[in-house]
Amino acid sequence: MLDVKAIRADFPILDRILPNGKNLVYFDNAATSQKPQCVIDAMSNFYENYNSNAHRSNHTLADEASSALENARNQISNFFGAKPENMIYTSGATEAINLVSYGWAKNNLDNGDVIVITEMEHHADIVPWQELSKEKGVEVRYVPINNETFMLDMEAFEIALEGAALVCVTHTSNVLGIRNPIEEIIRMSKKNNCKVLIDCAQGAPHEKINFEELGADFLAISAHKMAGPTGIGCLLTSNERIQEMGPFMTGGSMIKKVTIDGSTYKNGHEMFETGTPRIAEAIGWGAAVGWLEQFNMVDIHKHVHEIAAYAGKEMIKIPGIKIFGDPTNKDSSGAVSFLHETIQSQDLALLLDQGGYAVRTGHHCAQPLMDALGVPSTNRASFWIYNTQEEVEGFITHLKYICEKFA
Amino acid sequence: MSLLWPEHLDDIVEEFKDCFDSMERYELLFDYAKNNPNPLPVEEWTEENQILGCQSRAHVICTLDEEGLFILKAGADAQIVQGLMTITAIAVNGMEPVKVSKLTPAYVEEMGLKTALSPNRANGFLNMFNRVIKEAKILSET
Repeated sequence: MLDVKAIRADFPILDRILPNGKNLVYFDNAATSQKPQCVIDAMSNFYENYNSNAHRSNHTLADEASSALENARNQISNFFGAKPENMIYTSGATEAINLVSYGWAKNNLDNGDVIVITEMEHHADIVPWQELSKEKGVEVRYVPINNETFMLDMEAFEIALEGAALVCVTHTSNVLGIRNPIEEIIRMSKKNNCKVLIDCAQGAPHEKINFEELGADFLAISAHKMAGPTGIGCLLTSNERIQEMGPFMTGGSMIKKVTIDGSTYKNGHEMFETGTPRIAEAIGWGAAVGWLEQFNMVDIHKHVHEIAAYAGKEMIKIPGIKIFGDPTNKDSSGAVSFLHETIQSQDLALLLDQGGYAVRTGHHCAQPLMDALGVPSTNRASFWIYNTQEEVEGFITHLKYICEKFA
Repeated sequence: MSLLWPEHLDDIVEEFKDCFDSMERYELLFDYAKNNPNPLPVEEWTEENQILGCQSRAHVICTLDEEGLFILKAGADAQIVQGLMTITAIAVNGMEPVKVSKLTPAYVEEMGLKTALSPNRANGFLNMFNRVIKEAKILSET
């Protein structure tokens, strides 16, 4: 059982009064979560007391910065059940997926090979494969969703798997909040000798992801949706796959030797971490993981599910409101996408903002899914660990008022 | 014309300033959107007159009348953007294009709708307003 009141005390931003005098009610967690004070402090402490570049100079501050960067890697990889040597720091899940495309797929797939993705992917898990298709001639197959259940069509998935080399699927839809049957997808893919990439950007804040237990080849993760800072994430992979990867970006730090005749590269994660690392961000993410470790992720999911399910049940009672997805599904992540039949989504978001309610509006970087749903955009309220039933009650009251006044 | 906006906009600006709170202001803006005297009908929305970069659909046509005075017709699916463009059309229609090209959206801030001027890339109104100013500049040079 979570002590939400105590949790909220860790997030100074939740006390923010907006310029119109309203209290902030933050329901845009699927875009980015807020950060607890310990994350802010850890990053400030780095800059205040031991800011230095890592893995370069030979002085006290450089040693402290390097240790903190690697300690964070140990802590984060351990949290996700992966080996630290197989964790590659990236700018986020988007770069992690691009790293698989440019670093692994480009070197291991060729003309005629098949990549299976789904209609509910974020653009970050679509566009890199379209680019690879243009460059290498690989075929990209899209698994549709069932428009009634909003779930992946698993029969179509099974058919799409035939002859496929790589499967790339989101753990949880950023639009629908639907949690895909990842374990089943990995099992079926492995049976067909496919490599598997799971986009865990939305899943990681809501359940304990374990790389070894899942058995996927690649997991892409963003820090900023799970209490960590923006600008950092990682790719988790295996001993076998990392050996098959070639450099994605080149330059400093990733080289063994550079001469005017050419260069040789380091092995393992060091080959993919060129340039000055995101040291403060890694330290902040480590602090975020440390903060999350005090909770059971099952309790977080239970709490988020309860308020999302309540929100969904109440919202659907409001005339004109339609919900996309099923927030009452026990596996749903807490994202509730909705539209009003006459109030345009941008208008609705701005009117909700007048009450202090921060929600996301737009195509959510998932235009193929919008096409499948037959809408250009949706509004999305997404909940996390610090949101309360009282906040949702206030939101419902304000939404009802808007619908009565502006429809 | 006052320093910041045409004088005939003063009553509208005052009307918005007199609103009790932001929700009342937006209610009034919705009324302006519904009562646009010179809208751009949906049938005339084309790729050519679409404002790119907005998350809502927005279209603008700027022309000159027989006397060389500015005519703005705008259409948007978002009522807040449509309302602001209605007021912008009231402001600029009948003005010399060179004067339109020097207009700023200060009246929007004065009306208590500063949010509409945020540099957020998804901001429909600001993208439309900038297009109007750009077209006015081109028309003033022809």
